[in-house]
Amino acid sequence: MIALFPQLIFAESEYSFDLDEIEKKPYSFGGYLEARPALLGFDRGASLYKLKLYNKDEGETAEEYNAVIQLDSSYEKGIAKINTKINFDMQESYFGWSDALSIFEGYLSLKPSSSFTINAGKKTLKWGKGYAWTPAAFVDRTKNPDDPNLSLEGFISLSADYIKSYSGALKTISFTPVLIPVYDDVNNDFGETDHVNFAGKLYLLLYDTDIDFMVLAGGSKASRFGFDFSRNITSNFEIHGEFSFINNFEKKFINIAGDSFIKEYDAKSYLLGIRYLTELETTFIVEYYHNGTGFTEGEMEDYFSFINAAYDTYTASGNDSDLQKALNLAEGNYGRINPMKDYIYARVSQKEPFNILYFTPSLTGIFNVNDKSFSLSPEFLYTGITNLELRFKTSFLYGERRSEYGEKLNDYRAEFRVRYYF
Amino acid sequence: MIKILCVFMSLILAVSAYALDGNELLEQVDRNLNPESYESYKKLINIEPDGSKKEFVLFTVKKGKDKVAAMFISPASEQGRSTLRLDENMWLYIPNVGKPIRITSLQSVVGGVFNNADILRLDYTSEYDVEQVEENDDEYLLHLKAKTNTVAYDKLKMWVDRDNMLPSKIESLTEDSMLIKTLYFKEIKDFGDGIVRPSVVETDSPLYKDYKSVMIFAEIKEKEFDDEVFTLTFMPNIDSLR
Repeated sequence: MIALFPQLIFAESEYSFDLDEIEKKPYSFGGYLEARPALLGFDRGASLYKLKLYNKDEGETAEEYNAVIQLDSSYEKGIAKINTKINFDMQESYFGWSDALSIFEGYLSLKPSSSFTINAGKKTLKWGKGYAWTPAAFVDRTKNPDDPNLSLEGFISLSADYIKSYSGALKTISFTPVLIPVYDDVNNDFGETDHVNFAGKLYLLLYDTDIDFMVLAGGSKASRFGFDFSRNITSNFEIHGEFSFINNFEKKFINIAGDSFIKEYDAKSYLLGIRYLTELETTFIVEYYHNGTGFTEGEMEDYFSFINAAYDTYTASGNDSDLQKALNLAEGNYGRINPMKDYIYARVSQKEPFNILYFTPSLTGIFNVNDKSFSLSPEFLYTGITNLELRFKTSFLYGERRSEYGEKLNDYRAEFRVRYYF
Repeated sequence: MIKILCVFMSLILAVSAYALDGNELLEQVDRNLNPESYESYKKLINIEPDGSKKEFVLFTVKKGKDKVAAMFISPASEQGRSTLRLDENMWLYIPNVGKPIRITSLQSVVGGVFNNADILRLDYTSEYDVEQVEENDDEYLLHLKAKTNTVAYDKLKMWVDRDNMLPSKIESLTEDSMLIKTLYFKEIKDFGDGIVRPSVVETDSPLYKDYKSVMIFAEIKEKEFDDEVFTLTFMPNIDSLR
């Protein structure tokens, strides 16, 4: 009877549970569509406004229209599974129209047993325990602390996972070796080309603590090692941390006159964080991050001063060569997310206040400890409609001239994100 | 003096014997609700005061007393999310975010009245001791006390039907005996292989006035899994067990 009419299983009940809902198919297809209009309020005296919009007049505010299509698919047969994640990003902004089609992931996974997996192809590995920053995530792209949950593009790699479980204080060991080739046409944004890099991660669940040890070597980037940990002190209080050591890191910087320098040193970065949930379901996430590869306050001030001098040269003579030099230096260097030394991230979110189900307001602050500048971002998230996520987020930037947030292109930004999952 | 000592010793022995009976009753309840190791499919429905609903379908696997993992099959916005519980350690894996993050038993990955401890439930005997048993003609009332302070609810009052040794109602309480939520076990169903248990668990809470959450079981099957399935590294692959 059940076999003939599975859909009738709960027909007499006031609730329905159609067995079609749990039928597993060899393939899956899903993803999301996203629309994200935004309004920016420019800081027309800021260095980065002068750098990026020196030859444009955009007024006091500008609108920005963003859209994303992300397609996830998989096909499974026996021990093999193919996974893909394709991302199409579109933007109409004060810079004009831009779009980018990226294969975030596309890899073959072979799983001969539950303790062994091999992955080949483009994959995000996402190492590290930090919420906003992950200094020990050696084989990942840098997270954006303004939106740490965004999916990121992976690198082409060959990796394996070997897991072993035990009873006792040491519950789990897993080892993940990774090979990352870097050539002109493969992973060329990972680092120096013509190298095959080796990375590895050893994970332990020891005395109820997650511990990872990581290493990266091979020539495309300076060799590095690190570790992270995460542990619940009580059921509602978690601590985590990361440490990384980069051997012979090369920091490229300029002085106020634009002369370039390279300083080589061993860079140590670390992060300490907590996640705390109160009885009223307020969640606090606080992290302190020391970025050993970051710029000092003086080095950042020199860069901003150079931009301002370059802008003065441009307005006086029309010569933008120094501005172009400053723009080139921004790429992956001064322009990286949070380029300085010490930061604090603090986020407070309240789950379902006033019994409004699926509604989560939150407030996030990112503080630059070195120059005392910061951003504050109130956010409202509503997920009450099945497969629809609505988020309204604003960010306000504060800081004196020659400080990180004081020299950003905008003073504030408000955006409304509608995401539909299918 | 000897008389008083004898009475005192008898009382201690009586209480110990009762407590032992209570724990045996609870063990029976655990085994009647599900095998020690199993896979199951369940649907969670959050119902708002205006009648609007949000549904989640989960695939759950459990091994032994302290290992349970679950993966969302639907809706699309949650698909692929998985949760893992090893004793009192809990993690959530979100495909887009990637690395599993630690979560707590009091949070809820689905919103509504069910929290993570309800969704990733271990055997009651692994988390609770029976402090007292009351009985009448139809049912037992078990008073349970959490073994450690990391358990989501400090006390439970469990009404157990004497005929089938299945719970009909459970009240979850704080240490100060404040009611947090009530679970109602309904619609007993034969899942095969000797598993006969309530297929619907409704819950309400004075903290969520007029809201209701429901858990519906579609399939429960005894099954053994490797220990390695219940690890952080395996979390993205739980779907491969289906």
